[in-house]
Amino acid sequence: MKVSFVSSQAISKAMRYQTARLQSDLTKATTEMSTLRVADTGLALGARSSISVTLHREIDRLKGITDSNELAAARLKSTQLGLQELTAAASKLIENYSTALSGAGEPGIAQRQAAETLTLMSSVLNTNLNGENIFAGINTDVTPFNDFLDPASPNRVAFDAAFSTHFGFAADDPAAQTITATQMEAFLAVVEPQFSGAGWSTWSRADDQQITTRITLTETAQTSVSANILGFRKLAMAAATVAAGFAGPLSEEARNVLLENGVKLLGQAVSELADQQGYTGVTEQRLAQASERISMQIDLFSGSIRNLEGVDEFEAAAKVTALKTQLEVSYSLTASMQKLSLLNYLS
Amino acid sequence: MSLSTALSIAQNSLLNTQRQMGVVSKNMANQYNGDYSRRAAVISSLGPGSQVATISRATSTALFKQNLAALSGWTAQSTIVDGLDHLQLAVNGVDNATSPATLIGTMQRALEFFSATPSNRTLAENVVEAARQVALGLNQGTSAIQAFRADLDGQIAASVAELNQLLADFKMVNDEIIKGAAGDRDVLDSLDRRDALLKKISEIVPISTISRANGDTMIVTADGSTLFETIPRHVHFEPTPAYGATSVGNNVLVDGVPLFSATGANTTGSGTLSAMLQLRDGYANGLQLQLDEIARGLISAFSESGGDGLFTVPAGSTVPPGSTGLTGLAGAITLNPLVDPTRNGDPLLLRDGITTDYNPDDLASFNERLFAYIEKLDAPAGFVTASGSTVSQSLTAYSAAAIGWLEDARKTSASAAEAKSALAIRSAEALSNVTGVNVDEELALMLELEHSYSASAKMLQVVDEMLRTLLAAVR
Repeated sequence: MKVSFVSSQAISKAMRYQTARLQSDLTKATTEMSTLRVADTGLALGARSSISVTLHREIDRLKGITDSNELAAARLKSTQLGLQELTAAASKLIENYSTALSGAGEPGIAQRQAAETLTLMSSVLNTNLNGENIFAGINTDVTPFNDFLDPASPNRVAFDAAFSTHFGFAADDPAAQTITATQMEAFLAVVEPQFSGAGWSTWSRADDQQITTRITLTETAQTSVSANILGFRKLAMAAATVAAGFAGPLSEEARNVLLENGVKLLGQAVSELADQQGYTGVTEQRLAQASERISMQIDLFSGSIRNLEGVDEFEAAAKVTALKTQLEVSYSLTASMQKLSLLNYLS
Repeated sequence: MSLSTALSIAQNSLLNTQRQMGVVSKNMANQYNGDYSRRAAVISSLGPGSQVATISRATSTALFKQNLAALSGWTAQSTIVDGLDHLQLAVNGVDNATSPATLIGTMQRALEFFSATPSNRTLAENVVEAARQVALGLNQGTSAIQAFRADLDGQIAASVAELNQLLADFKMVNDEIIKGAAGDRDVLDSLDRRDALLKKISEIVPISTISRANGDTMIVTADGSTLFETIPRHVHFEPTPAYGATSVGNNVLVDGVPLFSATGANTTGSGTLSAMLQLRDGYANGLQLQLDEIARGLISAFSESGGDGLFTVPAGSTVPPGSTGLTGLAGAITLNPLVDPTRNGDPLLLRDGITTDYNPDDLASFNERLFAYIEKLDAPAGFVTASGSTVSQSLTAYSAAAIGWLEDARKTSASAAEAKSALAIRSAEALSNVTGVNVDEELALMLELEHSYSASAKMLQVVDEMLRTLLAAVR
């Protein structure tokens, strides 16, 4: 009759299982300590793995949006600078025209200033940032604004043709001195559609539609200004009529018609460009706020990920130490158990 | 008269001691043999002065049966755990790096980058490349799943062959035992062998045994089909050599009856066969169905009014692209060649429309379509889940849920495996404690036998001296 019998094999097997188990736990704990994440997230989270996958993906997407927001911010900043520059040029042109109207100074000064403004317009409106022409609406791969000072440019050709058709001679023809104020006003009414109407296409190849950017996961914003806005059109008309019209020996009354019309248009242009600067500023602010919100979201999501799959480093370290100690105990127990045999006491 | 009786008793004792020593020696030789049951030589009297040592074998029918059941449960569960680990790694990769969810996320990010600068051809190529990875990921996932199924099918065939062989061996051993019992021969070693065979069989299918006259044993499976009754019953399996997504594998027939199909991550099945069938038909098909649904969702999210968009199925493919469920679409889905720069396609068509021109003026920063794609990926649509129900989820959420489905199964099966392995170890230990050998005990027994032997020898010597004295007195 045997009471609490134990087989030799059960003893050695039990110790073997124990050691193997401790060793596999130790590998896991070591991984956890070095990565500070659970060793196998799938096994630890189970069905909640999908949450962790989604969070990781959202963080990556948000980071991507932060990057593209920076791109849009750079575009808006250049746009803002361009608008400021053109507003300043328009204000300066008003001064020049007013001086010319008061009879002081050469008419040539106003003409030169108008021509310079047109050059500035081409350089600003054809700004290229990162391969995109930022004033071209969504048609970003073309330089939107045609140079009026180039005689072969379509806008210049159209303007000159309109002039010749209306008066029967070119703008720089000596016969221009015969043009009366009434005739000039009639001509202005004729060329006006070239700027405000369908004729603007000879000036600008930009698309009316502005570039849209996704500034958060769900929100979009218009992040460019098209060269087709009214402010630019009026500025162009005020500058072009003077720059081209003054080419011939115009009478003073005809010149004054052009200058007065120019001052009126420039006044409107300045106010419209100022409005546009306001809109752009608001968008810049929206973008900055969106980026800020995104960075908060990223922090929040990272926190959730840490809660889900993170491991406290002290806990992980303590676990490793505990397992090591246990393993050592198990080793020494195994060794001393092996020594415990009746065989050693028989002689 | 008395002296000669003493002499013969001592002689008898020497013989018995030798026999007992033989048993001790055999026990010690088998101390680490898990299939060996400890023998005990029990001395019993046949009549006055006539004692005989009969050898018996330590058994515990209840513990042995419990051990068989635990063994079946544990092998099934560990097969499920290994299979799920394999599927997870083959399809989703380490840290889910190659999972459709991750790849779609990368593609969505590339789309977002592209939508911010739609004039940039490099970013368009980047999206197309990411899309190619998605399609490849689904294709490779499908082939990994189908290779896994084919591999399991082969393993099932091998296990069935092994089972048939084990049953044939069982017949031989069982016949020996019946003959031995009838002819009063020593069948203890055969009994050990028969127990070892039963253990091996129960690793493949769950069994219960029925003991009959003359030591005959009958084996039935847990669901009641006869495996062995006087002769082995045939276990039949028709392997399927190649697996496609819609192939249906055959079941294992025990004596013509199909094996019961197990369910659940904490599997209801026992033995490797049912677990392998469950993996082949349950989990592999469930995962394949989800990949197919993801492929369908992708094709539909990018489709245009004029036909397939970024993703399509190759011309001549037999897969019905519109139908839901397990179709093998994930194996067929491919990048539309019209946008693939390696096949003379134009990646910028992604912005302008592939089959329908949404951007007739070719405006470089046109990004309405790109926004629409990004939103489509996040918009809810109907998807069929692995369990067969239809849910309204976004493609991104569904693909993430597919990971959750597999990981949930892994977690449940891993913790079930822990419990079942503990049970298997405990029951093996309990059985071993009843039927195993303890060396110290055998050594102690050896000492006793040594003493008993020297006592008997001394007895012989003393009787011899007494007889000599008697004879000397007579002389």
